[in-house]
Amino acid sequence: MAVKKDYKDQKLAEKLRDRKYYIPDSNPEFLKEVEKIGQTAAHMCYQCGTCTGSCPSAPRSSYRIRLFMRKAVLGLEEEALTDPDLWLCTTCYSCTDRCPRDLAPTDAIMAMRNLAFKRDIVPRNFLQTVQLIYKSGHGVPNNDANRAARKKLGLDEEPETTHKYPEYLPGIQKILDHYRLKENADRILAEGE
Amino acid sequence: MSGNNHQYAFFLGCIAPNRYPGIEAAAIRTSKNVGIDLLPLKGASCCPAPGAFGSIDLNVWYAMAARNVVLAEQMGMDIALVCNGCYKSIWEVNHKLKHNDELRDGVNEVLKEIDMEFKGTVDVWHLAELYYDPKIVGVKKIADSVKRPLTGAKVAVHYGCHLMKPGKERHFGDTENPMWIEELVAALGAEPVQYRNKMQCCGAGGGVRGYDLTHALDITNEKLINLQEVGADALTEVCPFCQLQYDRGQVEIQDKFGITWGLPVLHYNELLGLAQGMNPDELALDLHAIDVEPFLKKIL
Repeated sequence: MAVKKDYKDQKLAEKLRDRKYYIPDSNPEFLKEVEKIGQTAAHMCYQCGTCTGSCPSAPRSSYRIRLFMRKAVLGLEEEALTDPDLWLCTTCYSCTDRCPRDLAPTDAIMAMRNLAFKRDIVPRNFLQTVQLIYKSGHGVPNNDANRAARKKLGLDEEPETTHKYPEYLPGIQKILDHYRLKENADRILAEGE
Repeated sequence: MSGNNHQYAFFLGCIAPNRYPGIEAAAIRTSKNVGIDLLPLKGASCCPAPGAFGSIDLNVWYAMAARNVVLAEQMGMDIALVCNGCYKSIWEVNHKLKHNDELRDGVNEVLKEIDMEFKGTVDVWHLAELYYDPKIVGVKKIADSVKRPLTGAKVAVHYGCHLMKPGKERHFGDTENPMWIEELVAALGAEPVQYRNKMQCCGAGGGVRGYDLTHALDITNEKLINLQEVGADALTEVCPFCQLQYDRGQVEIQDKFGITWGLPVLHYNELLGLAQGMNPDELALDLHAIDVEPFLKKIL
């Protein structure tokens, strides 16, 4: 019968036993959520670093996409979601195109941002875009100088969008209200005043 | 021969109609000259911005983009658009909803509240890919439409990110060193020039322009360094948001970093408009933050 060889000294055996990486506030559900929202098998990441090497944000900040991938795998939810670097991804998808494991680190980041938003962690400019779209249908709305330029070009002053047909706005507002997005944007922005 | 033209619902987005209306005017005229009619997509909204909305709640992003697609379904027409960010929202959501029943059912539940339903009956195209596609337009027809060749001008191409990447979900082939937009530039008589790290992001996407402008501009500045090294007379792109980042970004770079580049930035449709004989006035080039005059002197 095969016997597993071990240290005779019980204390030494205990001390040297292989341990899974584990810290008390690790949350394995975090990985599952990132994988579900991001539609990518983040646990397949073998930490080669091709993502960080391809990242335009990496050379000019402490943002490391590889680190975020690891934090997802280890369930380090708190660390990942409360790191301001989470918002430095330009979503250029270079890491996703080059990942040798065919993962989408960009979409893992998007998933983590979605999870951060559920805790009200989100930069203000994102919420301001929500408010603008709720009001006008546009993230970048028309203005007077642009109206004058449009007229000179022979275009209507208002483009053929919600700007010209505001009767379409209630539909947009209903969608945003369904997800309580405007309400949450207003509340979070007011809390930050 | 308007009756034989290909017809598309023209999805405008935000930055083209509301900041660079010359892109909208140019797209309508230049595409007509090569056999495409762009028809108004009434009541369309922001795509919505994939960086801002996708980051907050992907479900809202799906539903809002789906509403825009349904407007085109109701017209019975494919969508054509001129912005990479819009392409990411409109093309990608359309694609995802067509191939993921669970996602589509979820979106339709919300759309039901506004008496709409996503059916998956139309396709979404970037005008640039229609220009390149020989079944629709093709490089030869673009070249044939040129009345005023841009001879002697060195033009660099910025592809942007969200048209071609992630490559495995798209249909454009190589995303490391594509050359198809250079072919479209060469068709206008200009000389396309290559530069280091051509496929790098402009820096603006993912909400970073609003979140940390200096960080975004530093990425832009790196691209401008690489562009200057090869002596480009102008930069062309197919994304009004990239255009904003390069054009207004150069002013911001001057303010923040004290570096002056003065590189004219033109959307491919503006470039095509010039080559087809449109005047700078008809393209509202005066709205560009960086003076386009040095480039015009080269070609007019």
